[in-house]
Amino acid sequence: MNMFSSCMITALVILTLPIITSSTKLYKNKLYPYYVKTATSYAFMISMIPTMMFIYSGQETIISNWHWMTIQTMKLSMSFKLDYFSMIFVPVALFVTWSIMEFSMWYMHSDPYINRFFKYLLLFLITMMVLVTANNMFQLFIGWEGVGIMSFLLIGWWYGRTDANTAALQAVLYNRIGDVGFIMAMAWFLLNLNTWDLQQIFITTNDNFNLPLLGLLLAATGKSAQFGLHPWLPSAMEGPTPVSALLHSSTMVVAGVFLLIRFHPLMEHNQTIQTLTLCLGAITTLLTAICALTQNDIKKIVAFSTSSQLGLMMVTIGINQPYLAFLHICTHAFFKAMLFMCSGSIIHSLNDEQDIRKMGGLFKVLPFTTTSLIIGSLALTGMPFLTGFYSKDLIIESANTSNTNAWALLITLVATSLTAAYSTRIMFFALLGQPRFSPMILINENNPLLINSIKRLLIGSVFAGYIISHSITPTTIPQMTMPHYLKMTALAVTILGFILALELNLTTQGLKFNYPSNYFKFSSLLGYYPTIMHRLTPKTSLTISQKSASMLLDSIWLENILPKSISYFQMKSSTLISNQKGLIKLYFLSFMLTMILSLLILNYHG
Amino acid sequence: MSMVYINIFLAFILSLMGMLVYRSHLMSSLLCLEGMMLSLFVMMSVTILNNHLTLASMMPIVLLVFAACEAALGLSLLVMVSNTYGTDYVQNLNLLQC
Repeated sequence: MNMFSSCMITALVILTLPIITSSTKLYKNKLYPYYVKTATSYAFMISMIPTMMFIYSGQETIISNWHWMTIQTMKLSMSFKLDYFSMIFVPVALFVTWSIMEFSMWYMHSDPYINRFFKYLLLFLITMMVLVTANNMFQLFIGWEGVGIMSFLLIGWWYGRTDANTAALQAVLYNRIGDVGFIMAMAWFLLNLNTWDLQQIFITTNDNFNLPLLGLLLAATGKSAQFGLHPWLPSAMEGPTPVSALLHSSTMVVAGVFLLIRFHPLMEHNQTIQTLTLCLGAITTLLTAICALTQNDIKKIVAFSTSSQLGLMMVTIGINQPYLAFLHICTHAFFKAMLFMCSGSIIHSLNDEQDIRKMGGLFKVLPFTTTSLIIGSLALTGMPFLTGFYSKDLIIESANTSNTNAWALLITLVATSLTAAYSTRIMFFALLGQPRFSPMILINENNPLLINSIKRLLIGSVFAGYIISHSITPTTIPQMTMPHYLKMTALAVTILGFILALELNLTTQGLKFNYPSNYFKFSSLLGYYPTIMHRLTPKTSLTISQKSASMLLDSIWLENILPKSISYFQMKSSTLISNQKGLIKLYFLSFMLTMILSLLILNYHG
Repeated sequence: MSMVYINIFLAFILSLMGMLVYRSHLMSSLLCLEGMMLSLFVMMSVTILNNHLTLASMMPIVLLVFAACEAALGLSLLVMVSNTYGTDYVQNLNLLQC
């Protein structure tokens, strides 16, 4: 009996304390954000204890404490599964959230509702923890819906702005479509395996799990913004930058991938679903990388970068490497959150300017932000021995040496080089060159809240990959031998992307503006997908319903069939065949004359 | 033929002449049309009652119904014409369009 379960439950309870005290006077206090941030940091430190115990001895725990109800033969209880995945993810998520909360104390300090903002962030974190540590699908669904709702509330934080409301609604609608898949999987498990507990699902054998895995794939498509349900992620950048850093880069959008990783014992033996996942992830990563090339908003470029990395995680699941995908989730959280925080620092310093065409020359003015932006971008593209290398390079190597779909592999490599291209674009436009912003602003990055939070994530971006990958228990065996050209593939395409992008950016600086080509329009309008799906589908359904409601019964049956058709026909035929001139008196007189004449003549016939 | 029949027949002929010969107002021919219907109704009722054609007693009612329909039709045409021109002078009906 050791302190594993106690420490974990303590960490989770510490997180809920500021929510419980939000009905007291503490909530109106000016120091409430500081309390929330400290609570998160304490929860992080306490949750490191069970993680280190797990790393040392490999101990996994399942805490099942409260029996909620039994519905006929199915028992629902509150249970936490503290295994490899949740034990490593929880400290990473808490660390990143701690830094983001410190950052948002600087970013949102002039917001009058900052206490409510921190409460929402904390509620989001709690539901994410519920999702990650859930042992049965019902608890997972509670966490799933919880993060969806908090995402809606936080994206629409500045609710006076129409675009923010539209983006929040878009996020909820797209997530809902994914939830249908989740509920279908839950229903299938309930009907066929009589349970929602993960343990029981994994030990029962069944011939094919196609239907529930398809449902889970749909849920992951909705939550992790894969192709088909992806437009909500770039639109979600309407929310404040801490929200983008927390939800839409490190934590919420990986929930879909995390779900698929949780179900990897079922996916191992199902080749169809693996191929579907692979192709879906490959399409997503390529399309979003293409779209990131021509965006002008710095947050949207990073959002598309997130979407591309999520596609890469799906590709990893598709080649049957769930542990590598999980490693990429953990390492990706560090540098992506840091990239968002650096862009937040740039945006605030330039007086809320988000267009990269109006930035420039920040190399000398914001040295610390520049450093962290460059290190974050290098980590993202997989520079050897930074954080991203330990997960991304392993993924590309496994993809190259596995018996997989060559087309999916090829477009993943293309997307990797495009990653380097758009990272170069951010760095070139935002940091290098002459300043293109108004010179009347005071640029200052001296606030310790900002510096400390970015510094923590910077150290994480450099060292966390090494620390994590050398501490975890060995899982699937990585490919040890391969030809040297395959080993160098990831590095080679990345360097190619960097060089190409830099050359293009430098050469096209002084050129005359020419009108956008079709490829440019494809990329900057996000592949026309939002334009088609957001306009055509609602218009079609609204038109059909309007026509069938009003025209079918009222217009056609009651009006048009008899009355209007008769009058129309009569008018048409009368104008067609009448050749009269309306000389009524003449006609009447001739009629009378004919009558009289006939009477007179026929009277004397004898 | 008894006197009644000749009388009513004469009324009918008079209304017919009135309908066929009129000067300017369309309304007068419509009025004479009503007169024709009225005399027909009376003649039909007197004949049926005098000759005890009991089963044909329904016919005057039917005639009345149709006369009403046709009077409505005629009046609507009149209203259409006077909508356009303000009066119902027959000399206005030289255009085929109302």
